[in-house]
Amino acid sequence: MAKDNKKSKDQKSAEAEVESFADDLGPFVVAAETTRMAMVFADACEADNPIIFANDAFLELTGFTRKEVLGQNFNFFMAHVDDEEALALIRESFEGTSQTDFEIHYRRKDGTKFWATLFISPVRDDDGDIIQYFASFVDLTSYKDEQTHSRMLIDELNHRVKNTLATVQSIVSQAARANADPKAMRKAVESRLFALSRSHDLLSREQWRSAGLVDVINDALAPFGGLDERSGRVEISGDDIRFAPKAALALGIGFNELATNALKYGAFSNEDGSVRIEWTVEPSPTGRRLHLIWTEKDGPVVVAPLRKGFGSQVLERGLAHELGGTVQLEYLSEGLVCMLNIPAPVSDHE
Amino acid sequence: MSDLLSGRRILVVEDEMLIVLMIEGILEDLGCHSVTSAATVNKAVSLIETETFDAAMLDMNLCGEDSSRVADALSERAVPFIYSTGNDKRDMAQGARDHAVLYKPYHERDLIAALTQLLS
Repeated sequence: MAKDNKKSKDQKSAEAEVESFADDLGPFVVAAETTRMAMVFADACEADNPIIFANDAFLELTGFTRKEVLGQNFNFFMAHVDDEEALALIRESFEGTSQTDFEIHYRRKDGTKFWATLFISPVRDDDGDIIQYFASFVDLTSYKDEQTHSRMLIDELNHRVKNTLATVQSIVSQAARANADPKAMRKAVESRLFALSRSHDLLSREQWRSAGLVDVINDALAPFGGLDERSGRVEISGDDIRFAPKAALALGIGFNELATNALKYGAFSNEDGSVRIEWTVEPSPTGRRLHLIWTEKDGPVVVAPLRKGFGSQVLERGLAHELGGTVQLEYLSEGLVCMLNIPAPVSDHE
Repeated sequence: MSDLLSGRRILVVEDEMLIVLMIEGILEDLGCHSVTSAATVNKAVSLIETETFDAAMLDMNLCGEDSSRVADALSERAVPFIYSTGNDKRDMAQGARDHAVLYKPYHERDLIAALTQLLS
């Protein structure tokens, strides 16, 4: 009880002090009151350095009412009241020995925490004695959020770069395995690097959110010159479902392998051949599945290869592995058929 | 030293298809008996529960998901494993300290050495 009485006495004297303060400094108080910068004055003469003035911006920042703030210790809303390092910095500023700003972690009335830049300047009377402390607070919440977000993006980018480098390493090592001739090896590496690069371009255009299957296919076919739907040699039919970036990259590489193979041995290697790419999405006990068929026709007579090359490994093992489904190649004499059966993407990649 | 890998059953948990193909190629050249791969946490865990492996390599991050559940499944069955990661050394996962870590991209010889170390 005694404590309560004391507090209310403190409160009263603090309020009285604010009034005299307002009377003495009229226009300045109005300015301090209405600025968007959070400000307080604290009494330097009392041991506890009670707050004797707090402007509206400060109340808005912290969520306290003026009544709750006046008379409180200057450090009352620190998130870690025993943060010795921060307390030492505040003490130095009070003494006027340091004139720098610093960041302090604070706690709002509702318990949420925020960082603020604190700047303190001592106010002296005519004799040069410090009688008050003036403190301003700059809310760092959005700055800190931005910083966290940037850090996350940088980490994600680093991770992606390292994985891409390892992917390139794999492309080079597979090409070296498959090709004794340096020129052929160079061509094999380049074609895959360009495929990877085109998929990155597509995803960049879409802010790395997702990519539509139609775009993925068209981008994979683009470097093969005039092989689009207008040429009559490619027919694409299916809903333009959207894939997450990683799956879109994998599909881009897969379609590049199919197109490369068609150009070397299949429907794109003569004047008349064509490719039909069609897909449907169907329900299954394990969720919706995408059935896609790549059918070549009117190309040269197809002979199944004696040994599986990198392209067929990428499709049958790589793509199937990464997309969690099956990919089958059938070397029918009238044309290659590639069948994908993979889980359909969940539709939140809009 | 790579004789130790001959005839072994290795599980490769990695979500980048081209990287998987490279690792499979390297391990098959070394005479591993079988190389099984998984791209997701669920697939890896169900493989570990149903098949027997002599050793494994595990990417710390699978399609954005932390792979510690796979690490736990491997530890439970006492399958020795090494980690691989595209992260840098600063943000190493806490539980990864007891395991060798390969930082992508890594040398073929480092992969072989790390797996050989596991089996010796």
